[in-house]
Amino acid sequence: MRDVRPDHLRQVRKPLPEWRRPRGHGGDTRHTTGRMLGVLGLAACGLVVAQALNARKPRPRAEPRAAAAAKVRHGAMALAGSVAADSLMEHFRGGYCNDAMYLAPAVAGTALAATAVRPPATPRDDAVARDVAHAASLVTGTAGLAFHVWNIGKRPGGLTSMNNLFYAAPVGAPGGLAASGLYGLAEGRLRRAPIMPPRVEGRLLAGLTALNLLATSAEAGLLHFRGAFQNPFMFVPVTAPPAAALVLGAAAADPAAGLRRLARAACWTTAAAGAAGVAFHAWGVHRNHGGWRNWRQNLIQGPPVAAPPAFVGLGLAGLGALDLMDIRDEGRR
Amino acid sequence: MPLIEDLEPRARDGRAPDVFSHGDWVPMRCYGDAEEVDFVIVGTGAGGGTLAGKLAEAGFSVVAMDAGPFWRPLEDFASDERHQDKLYWLEDRLSEGDDPIALGSNNSGCAVGGSTVHYQMVALRFRPEWFRSRSLLGYGHDWPVDWRRMWQCYDEVEEALKIAGPVRYPWGPKRGRYPYREHELNASAHVLARACEAMGVDWAACPNATVSAPHGKSPPCVYRGFCKIGCATNAKQSTLNTFVPRALAAGAEIRDLATVTRIETGRDGRAAGVLYHRDGEWRRQKARNVVVAGYSIETPRLLLNSASPAHPGGLANSSGLVGKNLMVHANHAVWGRFEEEIRWYKGPPSLAVCEHWNYADDHKDFFGGYAFMSQGPLPADFATTVADAEGIFGMELRQRMADYNHMAGLKIVGETMPQERNRVELADETDPLGVPRARVTYSMCDNDRALSDHSVRFMREAMAGAGGQQLFTSEGTAHLMGGCRMGFTPEDSVVDGDGRSWDVPNLWVCDGSLFPTGGGVNPSMTIMALAVHIADRIKTLAARGEV
Repeated sequence: MRDVRPDHLRQVRKPLPEWRRPRGHGGDTRHTTGRMLGVLGLAACGLVVAQALNARKPRPRAEPRAAAAAKVRHGAMALAGSVAADSLMEHFRGGYCNDAMYLAPAVAGTALAATAVRPPATPRDDAVARDVAHAASLVTGTAGLAFHVWNIGKRPGGLTSMNNLFYAAPVGAPGGLAASGLYGLAEGRLRRAPIMPPRVEGRLLAGLTALNLLATSAEAGLLHFRGAFQNPFMFVPVTAPPAAALVLGAAAADPAAGLRRLARAACWTTAAAGAAGVAFHAWGVHRNHGGWRNWRQNLIQGPPVAAPPAFVGLGLAGLGALDLMDIRDEGRR
Repeated sequence: MPLIEDLEPRARDGRAPDVFSHGDWVPMRCYGDAEEVDFVIVGTGAGGGTLAGKLAEAGFSVVAMDAGPFWRPLEDFASDERHQDKLYWLEDRLSEGDDPIALGSNNSGCAVGGSTVHYQMVALRFRPEWFRSRSLLGYGHDWPVDWRRMWQCYDEVEEALKIAGPVRYPWGPKRGRYPYREHELNASAHVLARACEAMGVDWAACPNATVSAPHGKSPPCVYRGFCKIGCATNAKQSTLNTFVPRALAAGAEIRDLATVTRIETGRDGRAAGVLYHRDGEWRRQKARNVVVAGYSIETPRLLLNSASPAHPGGLANSSGLVGKNLMVHANHAVWGRFEEEIRWYKGPPSLAVCEHWNYADDHKDFFGGYAFMSQGPLPADFATTVADAEGIFGMELRQRMADYNHMAGLKIVGETMPQERNRVELADETDPLGVPRARVTYSMCDNDRALSDHSVRFMREAMAGAGGQQLFTSEGTAHLMGGCRMGFTPEDSVVDGDGRSWDVPNLWVCDGSLFPTGGGVNPSMTIMALAVHIADRIKTLAARGEV
């Protein structure tokens, strides 16, 4: 393009260093859309292959510990799926202006594949591959948390500005990926190399899940506060999960049968709320300008449809933890 | 899209446009001209529209007329600056004085919803002390309304419009939480933030009348940036899509393209109804009460044009103050170029605000205060500013405009003093309906200039501190206030603290012309808060049989 500026404006300015130059803003969105569709396509293929592999394997009779491990695995899968889809969309919204932003959907996609494929009945050499995928989730998620905090802090007003907490990188979101990694690793231990009595494993997992529920609920609370809780159902993720965290935490501390039953109900409620959240967010997308007809814009502008399943994942993980605690109970009988 | 002159009234035959639709309607109760309604309201903007909604909901029979058309934003608003000139009151007026006011886009609207259809949505409250500026701050006049009462009314208006404001507001007394959360700051707002931090003064996300989450049929703002020329998504909360639909739902009739030219008075001196022109016909609407809500030029013009033997100097004008004490806001700005791309057209134009000089009283060499906001003018608007301020045109202007995406600016809303010489009168010249045109005389006083100079000095330093280069300054005015001052006695004001005329007990004023002083913030919230106050007072008085 011809430089039409007058001479005094044309003076040579120090060019911005490469890493500071704006990129990916508008100009190459078609490029990015292509990449995004490609990744989505790959993920879909992965799921189809996983399904096919699952179908080929004979289903073993569910031994209680393995059944509990499967629930934890499904929890990790829901978390990984939620993070994969959500980060794909949200980082697309951010124009993938930093290459590191590709990591989240890529690693979460791998974790999704690793959790979607049912493990073989006898431990085989895919254990290492699975553990690597989950460890990568844990590391990426943790690094993501730090990266998001840095992103918030660099804006005017820094970490204390509500505007930054509302609109810069969501402070707790990468935690979902770290949690998926933790559950994935735990599932591997449970299935292949139990080192503790199931009661202890269950209590540990229950405690971890209670903390995760609180953190995820806090994140939902912040973003629903940004939305001014304009719909009363927006209070669900700031009430049901903390309640579940409370009873699950209590059950972890004192695994009495009554508490465990209550915790089980609370975990189911949380998982159901997570599933319903998808529908509510889909409704929320419709309330944006142009509704679903304008899906290309509103899926990004509206409430994130892929985010609520994180509660499905945490609910399932909690149920897995309770199953483990039940095994001890049965043994006593 | 036909020219405004060729438009036909839409709100009639029992239906009015549904502003949230393409081409749909909502039912509307209609009154006959001979039917004596409780209130006929002239104007449907921040004052009249709000009042119509509140009075209709209180069970009064209400007919509200507006000279402008009844738009459906989704289908009638284009992303085109010049086309959207149709929102402004552009009929000829004579503008005189040492500092003649540019009339139109910055201060008068012509549509159902009035100027709120094109306002910049800056939703600020008056500083409490301003309601007693004579007693506490030593200038202007006291308001006959207590600030705590006004703050209750602000609460109601902010809730009705779901104002999106910051969680913590740094200035003034503690206030409740804004109904909706602040919008994401754009780069232009970040410039203001950096500028304020460089000067060591507070800044905040600017409370805005565009929703940050769904509200009824309003979708959240999509940050198109065409706010000032009419929001085409309905995210902007104007009276057109808030109080006017409420008024219709509560049984009020809205008559668009209905120009009231005269308030008729009976032999007892009371208002009997209005003479108006609609769809090529002259008609008369009978009413038990008349409310004038035409803003600071048209309200005095209508009152002056309604002179009769009982009211020879114009209606409600025994004090001689109708049309006097007209005020504007100083609208000086400092603009600069930034190394990085700003793209200031993204989002609502004013997303950050600094009210420091509204609340600080020390180190000032002037009375009054000013706020300044981040800016986001559209290209034609900004090209006009550059051409005016820098005196350039042609290729040179084109070259300067190539930097449009790198520009940022700070612009004030600065309080000017009420002066009796600043006034609205009737000219000898008449408009096509035969009504004398308004002659507007305006001159700044030394205090106004001192305030503007102070703001320019401060903002230049701040802009430089934020990294702005090639700074330049522009001057201007925005908003109108005063002209029918409310006050404590029939001698010092046109109406009382309820907006009721001292002279004609069934004549009311409900718009920005009531302001005894202008304050250093955009007036829309205060006008709407006054309308809420007046509606409540009317309800109380009516219950006592005093209306």
